[in-house]
Amino acid sequence: MSRRVILALTCAAVLLAVGLFFWAALRSLPYGDWPAFPYDAAGMDLSQILLAFGTLPRGMVALLVGACLGLAGALMQTVLRNPLADPTTLGVQAGAQLALVAATLLAPGLLLAGRGPVALAGGALAVLLVMGLAARRGFAPVTVTISGMLVGLLCAAISTALTLSRGEYLLSLVIWNGGALTQQDWSGAANLALVFLPALMIALLMARPLLLLSLGGEGARALGLSATPLRLSALGVAVLLSATVAAEVGLVSFLGLAAPAIARRLGARTIPQRLLAAPLAGALLLSVSDSALMLLVSFGGPDLPTGALTGLLGGPLLIALLPRLTATVPPRAEAGDMPVRRSPHPRRVLLILALLLPALSLLTLFAGRGPEGWALLDPALRQTYLPLRATALMAALAAGALLAGSGAVLQRLTANPLAAPEVLGVTGGASLGYAAVIFSLPAPGALALALGSGGGAVVALLALSAYALRADMAPARILLAGLAIGALASAVLAAIMASGDMRAWTVLGWLSGSAARATPEGAVALWALALVLLAGGLAAGRWLEILPLGGAVSSALGVPVGIVRLALILGAGMATGAASVLVGPVSFVGLMAPHIARSLGLTRPRAFLAGAMLTGALLMGLAAFGARSLAYPYDLPLGLFATLIGAPWLFVALMKRTPA
Amino acid sequence: MSLFSLQKVSCDVPGRRLIDGLDLEIAPGQVTALIGRNGSGKSTLLKLFTGQMAPSEGRIQFGDRPLAEWSRKELARALAYLPQVTPPTEGMELEELVRLGRYPWRGALGRLRPEDHHAVEEALELCGVEPLRHRLVDTLSGGERQRGWIAMMIAQGARTLLLDEPISALDVAHQVEVLGLVRQMCRERGLSAVIVLHDVNMAARFCDHVVALEAGRVVLDAPVSNMMNAAALERIYGVPMTVGTSGHPFALPA
Repeated sequence: MSRRVILALTCAAVLLAVGLFFWAALRSLPYGDWPAFPYDAAGMDLSQILLAFGTLPRGMVALLVGACLGLAGALMQTVLRNPLADPTTLGVQAGAQLALVAATLLAPGLLLAGRGPVALAGGALAVLLVMGLAARRGFAPVTVTISGMLVGLLCAAISTALTLSRGEYLLSLVIWNGGALTQQDWSGAANLALVFLPALMIALLMARPLLLLSLGGEGARALGLSATPLRLSALGVAVLLSATVAAEVGLVSFLGLAAPAIARRLGARTIPQRLLAAPLAGALLLSVSDSALMLLVSFGGPDLPTGALTGLLGGPLLIALLPRLTATVPPRAEAGDMPVRRSPHPRRVLLILALLLPALSLLTLFAGRGPEGWALLDPALRQTYLPLRATALMAALAAGALLAGSGAVLQRLTANPLAAPEVLGVTGGASLGYAAVIFSLPAPGALALALGSGGGAVVALLALSAYALRADMAPARILLAGLAIGALASAVLAAIMASGDMRAWTVLGWLSGSAARATPEGAVALWALALVLLAGGLAAGRWLEILPLGGAVSSALGVPVGIVRLALILGAGMATGAASVLVGPVSFVGLMAPHIARSLGLTRPRAFLAGAMLTGALLMGLAAFGARSLAYPYDLPLGLFATLIGAPWLFVALMKRTPA
Repeated sequence: MSLFSLQKVSCDVPGRRLIDGLDLEIAPGQVTALIGRNGSGKSTLLKLFTGQMAPSEGRIQFGDRPLAEWSRKELARALAYLPQVTPPTEGMELEELVRLGRYPWRGALGRLRPEDHHAVEEALELCGVEPLRHRLVDTLSGGERQRGWIAMMIAQGARTLLLDEPISALDVAHQVEVLGLVRQMCRERGLSAVIVLHDVNMAARFCDHVVALEAGRVVLDAPVSNMMNAAALERIYGVPMTVGTSGHPFALPA
């Protein structure tokens, strides 16, 4: 694009942003009534106060938040040489959010000094975790993004769990989560400006070393630049920027992704150009979005949080940017992974797992926590309780097996130990379908809800498959596309939650899952599906053995790669959709169970699949038992409980086995 | 009859022509080296042979039929391919890898029959990896692993082997071992091989025929003995080379 076109476009964008904002402001108060500068609340009427301490600072905050996130995104993308890096995809925002939620609940005293330090600590922890994982893979872009989004997913899941457990106290936080830009005074704008301006100066000073760094760590070192301190300080500035945004206004997703992408598209080529153009693009983008939302409210529309709106842009944008990623994954050899231990007697391992299943079932059927503490079920109560417990248990076992089986298939398919149904966005689609039914029908029945979530899962899956077919199914990209769909779903859910509608709580409750809602028919259907998945997976054993060797080898051996991959993805997706109706979208059983199966030495594809499904059933059975007993007489949500078992395990596994 | 026969074959990716109007015959029963500078189209040509890429123009004939008319399964029974970087094989023993070579014959569900087991045994033995059969592939040395993959190609029962730089990560001893194995297969069992190579001396020592590419066109298509002279080598690599002899001819940059 020529210089003149770019200049004209920029001017048009500035005019649009300014025009929209003043239109919104003038609708709230005619210009003649605007208070004179300097503002003094004592001499103003209410609408003047609203303008001077609400609307005007809000406009400034929108600009500054956009600029902060644009700069943070540009810095992260330069340092990591990864066009998908931004505060959302690196887990910084979710980490900050989790820290704030946890502090509000567990240590409110920490918040006395302001939200900034708490959010900063959370965001920094999250990014350190992601970088720790990524360092083992030489900061390969795909790995960094996948680890970051996983950490983000996990933080968001735990925040949801905490929110749910103490819902009544956290309503304001839920609204904050959505990224509402509403202001009461100028302090927010001042805080943001105090961080943004020095950060911009530092970033520009770092421009030349960053250029050297773009040659890669070794190249930079050869030219006499030590890469690590520079990487750390640039990332530190980026984290500071995004944590400040998180503390002031909450989650404004994906702006850090969009702004540098727009800047690049408009021809910002050198690093200083990008560091200047990205904040400008971010500021204008967010300002236009926010003014549009204010106008919408002034014309009687719903009051949506701005962050949820930018989240909606994020999913499609992420998918559009995927082709820019180099698909190369560094060979795993140099990471010092130990060769996987193989069990000499896989059948014996499987037999033990299979025997544990009835043992666990008997325990959970007959034992439990009653009014007098832990006890066996009173014979007099068996008539009433056993059928209920049996239904819940059967449903939980089958759901665990389904999630684990689908995770095992996806891991073989992508040769990636981080592939899991929770990661592929299928469960996100299911939750959107569920929410749609809740909001569109007056009193939906179980069947309508099951159909809704199943339909949502299928739509997410179809979107994924359509993309995957077009992009020749590079496995790592499928994973990222799945994460993008998941992010889109969670943005929509955040908007629903922030609407403050009471029906939102129904959705939130479902999101964490409960086995107690299962019906006998549902349990039978889940079992049938699990058996079909097992049979299909065993039949496809040879494919599951060949596919991890990659497309070239597979097709040289005569495997119809495209069709087989599509069939396996569809099968895994159906299984996930069905299971997530029961346990909610985030449980990580689909990620954990295959890991456990592998660490038990089950590496051959058929034994691996069967072992993973058995382990999944056991895990979910345990989670159901714990969820029922731990907080007696209350039922804890099943999926939430599984997450709490799974989360620490997942981090240990991530630290030990690095993703490929 | 030629093994591969190319008529006016071109191959484009957006913005670049990788193969430019190639007319080429590759003879069966011998080891053919594909050489040329980086980016000259060697690997692309190999991918055209395997059917991984389709030509934008022109016709490729494999054996008695156009390549496009071969079904995937037929092709897998006739053609075996070794990628430049062999993929990681987590938790797989060598024998299991070699057994994958029987997939084109038994498909996803068929049980392995006695003749399949026989083919696997024979391949393990021919490639000298019989003692390693229960080792994990990922724990083998580079040369052993490469021989294991070649054993898989032999077990596949294919009469034509396509290898993409099979020796680029090996030391001299293992280079000799791997190329010697391929040549032995062609001599003793009448197989054909097409190998992408970087090392002219290795090509001269172990191959029968050479096809040199430059910018997607053939610059030399001759028996290897015709390649080992200063004029031909300078035409291929664009740098002056001297050729010496001590038993076998060898070439060094001048």
